[in-house]
Amino acid sequence: MKRRDFIAGTGALAALPWLAGCTPAAPLVTVLRPGLREGHALREAAALPPPSGELRCGVAILGSGVAGLTAAWRLAREGRRDVLLVDGPEPDGNAAGSMLGGIACPRGAHYLPLPDPGLVHVRELLADLGVLTGGLRDDAPEYDEQALVHPAAERTLAGNTWHEGLLPTSTAADAAAAARFNADMAAWSARRGGDGRPAFALPLAASSGDPTLRALDRQTFARWLEEAGHTHPPLRHYIDYAMRDDYGARPDAVSAWAGLHYFCCRRGRARNAEAGAVMTWPQGLSALTAGLRRVAAVRTLSGHAVALSERRSTVEVMVQTADHRTVTLVADRVICAMPLHVARHIDPALADALPRTALPETAPWLVANLLLDGFPHERPGADLAWDNVVLGGQGLGYVVATHQLTRVARPAATVFTAYRAGWGDAGEARRWLASASEAELLEFALADLDAAYDHRWHNRLRRAELVLRGHGMAIPAPGFLDAPARALRDRGGRVLHAHADLGGLSLFEEASWWGERAARQLLG
Amino acid sequence: MPPQSRSTPDLHDSATPGTDAGTHHPGLIVAVFVVASCGLAYELIAGALASYLLGESVLRFSTIIGTYLFAMGVGSHLSKYVDEKALLARFIDIELMVGLLGGLSACALFLIYAWAGSPFRVSLYALVLLIGVLVGMEIPLVMRLLHQRKQAFEALVSRVLTFDYLGALAVSLLFPLVFAPLLGLARTAVVFGLLNAGIGLWLTHRYRAELPQARALKLRGLLVLAVLLAALAWAQKLTDAAEAGLYGDSVVHRETTPFQRIVLTRWQDDTRLYLNGNLQFSTRDEHRYHEALVHPALAALPQARRVLVLGGGDGLAVREVLKYPQVERVTLVELDPAMTRLFRDTDDLAALNAHALRDPRVTTVNADAAQWLETAEGPGWDLIVADFPDPSHYALGKLYAVPMYRLMARHLAPGGLIVVQSTSPWYAPRAYWCVDATLREAGLHTAPYHASVPSFGDWGFLIAAREAGYRPPSALPAGLRHLDARTVAQMFDFPPDMRAPAVEPNRLNTQMLVHYFEEDWSRQMR
Repeated sequence: MKRRDFIAGTGALAALPWLAGCTPAAPLVTVLRPGLREGHALREAAALPPPSGELRCGVAILGSGVAGLTAAWRLAREGRRDVLLVDGPEPDGNAAGSMLGGIACPRGAHYLPLPDPGLVHVRELLADLGVLTGGLRDDAPEYDEQALVHPAAERTLAGNTWHEGLLPTSTAADAAAAARFNADMAAWSARRGGDGRPAFALPLAASSGDPTLRALDRQTFARWLEEAGHTHPPLRHYIDYAMRDDYGARPDAVSAWAGLHYFCCRRGRARNAEAGAVMTWPQGLSALTAGLRRVAAVRTLSGHAVALSERRSTVEVMVQTADHRTVTLVADRVICAMPLHVARHIDPALADALPRTALPETAPWLVANLLLDGFPHERPGADLAWDNVVLGGQGLGYVVATHQLTRVARPAATVFTAYRAGWGDAGEARRWLASASEAELLEFALADLDAAYDHRWHNRLRRAELVLRGHGMAIPAPGFLDAPARALRDRGGRVLHAHADLGGLSLFEEASWWGERAARQLLG
Repeated sequence: MPPQSRSTPDLHDSATPGTDAGTHHPGLIVAVFVVASCGLAYELIAGALASYLLGESVLRFSTIIGTYLFAMGVGSHLSKYVDEKALLARFIDIELMVGLLGGLSACALFLIYAWAGSPFRVSLYALVLLIGVLVGMEIPLVMRLLHQRKQAFEALVSRVLTFDYLGALAVSLLFPLVFAPLLGLARTAVVFGLLNAGIGLWLTHRYRAELPQARALKLRGLLVLAVLLAALAWAQKLTDAAEAGLYGDSVVHRETTPFQRIVLTRWQDDTRLYLNGNLQFSTRDEHRYHEALVHPALAALPQARRVLVLGGGDGLAVREVLKYPQVERVTLVELDPAMTRLFRDTDDLAALNAHALRDPRVTTVNADAAQWLETAEGPGWDLIVADFPDPSHYALGKLYAVPMYRLMARHLAPGGLIVVQSTSPWYAPRAYWCVDATLREAGLHTAPYHASVPSFGDWGFLIAAREAGYRPPSALPAGLRHLDARTVAQMFDFPPDMRAPAVEPNRLNTQMLVHYFEEDWSRQMR
């Protein structure tokens, strides 16, 4: 800067207070409520136009979430070509992705832990998609390093400083509590039941049936933590975060069995990554659903099933298409790959077997994609990571959609995806989501970012896409292992059900396993 | 600032009647005007200099002004201890001291900042305090002088304060509009110093009859005048030298782009480019770096037609590439348009790359090279030059990871080569050999080599190819300054103290290279 420029600069400086008074243009907000209209129309048994046509297929898959797409992939892999996929009201379900300002980002779940050797179907699927690149049957296969989370992976805001990692270890007391908890979880992870099976495994069905272990499902995780002496507040903040993140509820509403399962079910390893590594993609798990669609190359109908009835040798499915026509789908077999609270409005056999009260409570889920033109100014401590969590914060932190990209310079624009789940009573939370104004929803979605950055970060916010799911995930409350939905697993007949709800945990591996199972059953 | 900046005059025994102030003592009233101007000027200069050198303008200005006002209060208080009989002589002394200190203040601060560094803040505030104390004594003393000369109190106060404020107004307008832009801070200070000293000398002359030591005062005054005049003559050179001290050499271009801070310096025939404070090249030896980067690969490719240069917006690598007449197309992918504009359109800078960026064979793309390569189409390249910044953090480390090298390999024509600038095998041996291991992990055959670039030290490069069998060229284009067939062959030799350590390849999810780079260089910085 020349002195001359400096003099001009001081003049400009004097004008700053007025400039600062100008508020930036409000961001453009889009609110999406996938499945809301269609779901409520089903509940209210809304009248439909008469069928305008009929389609025939061997297998109809109703729903294109992870369960439906895994079934489609498996059937295609086994040579079935007579499959028709009915997309459902929200293509890709909880694994959906989005694109904001040209930047791919998740609209739901965004990562996948390394699968155990026991999750053969997940490994095969990843191999077909080019993510698992070698050693399919090995204990520690090789994965595409593009998908493995690049450093820095995680950081936590505690007090006024960012710390690396999610589990607080910055003070001696934190570290001691964390070490004790980790040792305890490692012991539980290695534990096997009287039947020789691991205490906690994925899919859930692979977990031990030992009654002494299953007894954990009769108490809350909060109670179990108290009894085990895991009471250090920062540790509990972390556990609280983990439960809200995966189960949409706090430890006092979650089964102790489910809580332990979260920390003890994953033993997957990789030849080229550390234990505990996870895989992610800029667009979240929609990278996998898009891959499954590509590999399965399945015929797809845009629309959603509204009713099905079993005939003597076929199943008739009424489908409302995206262009508001009604089509009759006649299929030999049907895989009903949708949440149970929706399925019971479509499959009459379910309505009787499964009253609404017998279904688990579901947690609302808010995913906010925030397009920023430039990165906000960071406070001291660990650098921006892929996953950024505010310890004791209201939300579930935020992930950076551009984290996995390779670039010479930081991109000029990025998307931060902020998550919220597990606030208050599920029913009330759902009603609030339905009635809140756009401004209220936005403020709610931005809570963690407002805690992480000073208010000027708002100047960078250009667009916000708020994805609201009233029924984001089943809450594994105490007793969930014996939920009546288990009866559906072996419904048999021409209609098979496939959804993570059958197990009770809303996880990719679980959903995928039910899809795999239905396809295998169908293939005989 | 002026109205508040003047302390209340010390007005004891104010009942003496008299004639209209200034009628008989116009000199003292002129002195008030000048003294007021100079007093404010030093305050502004110190504030401007501090915010210029230290930043945080608002904070600097307000703390400087606060210190200055406080010091003036101290000065006013001290003025009452000045002996009534020696009033005029002390006032002249103070004028001379203010002239000397204030006049040299800016030069002194520049020099302290450039060469001493840390005591700058202390020196700054000490100087402001000192000048403030002296300036604070001026007006009370003038008042007492006029009072001695039988001025009516009411007229005295009003006349003195009027000229005080007028002087302040004049400077507050002239300083930013005329003096600072025209003369610079250093010379402006000297000019005001000269005014103070001039007043001192003039008063000595005007009241020589009343002053017992007029001769000694005059001598002192002349000495101060001489020092200030010398300072005026040398002030510009002094501050230029001080600024050069900040950057090493004199800065010829400064620019902050959305991507980086570009600084170009020149000293004699040496032009240097700094990006975000990191030296990119010195014209003294950049030919060594760029000849080593390009020729060992390109001279071994007589069939090369298409060359891709990733990074290197200064066009110096492109200049070397254009020495091959068979090359038909060079694409330069550089993120920052300001860089390519600077080195294409500024004549003396474009001369450094022999106007390479205006060559019809050259296409410049302003894009992120990694992103560009992901979507690039078209036939393969015979040579890809990867001249990326050093892998000093995770984001940059990804440019040196297996997937990036696989991506580059996919863009190679059959028989094509990749050359990678890969930090120093002497200072960061594990980092250098990690790049080698990474290229091999990506399925490429490598040829490591190094060159001595005095500005950087021993610097490393790697040639990589899909096929084995690279041989260093035996013939090179004419007109190279550093390389000939013999030196090229020597570059591929690593003496025993530079043999490859055992290292892991750099993967996106482990980023070993960034760890090696950090550890190796921090060991050097001890």
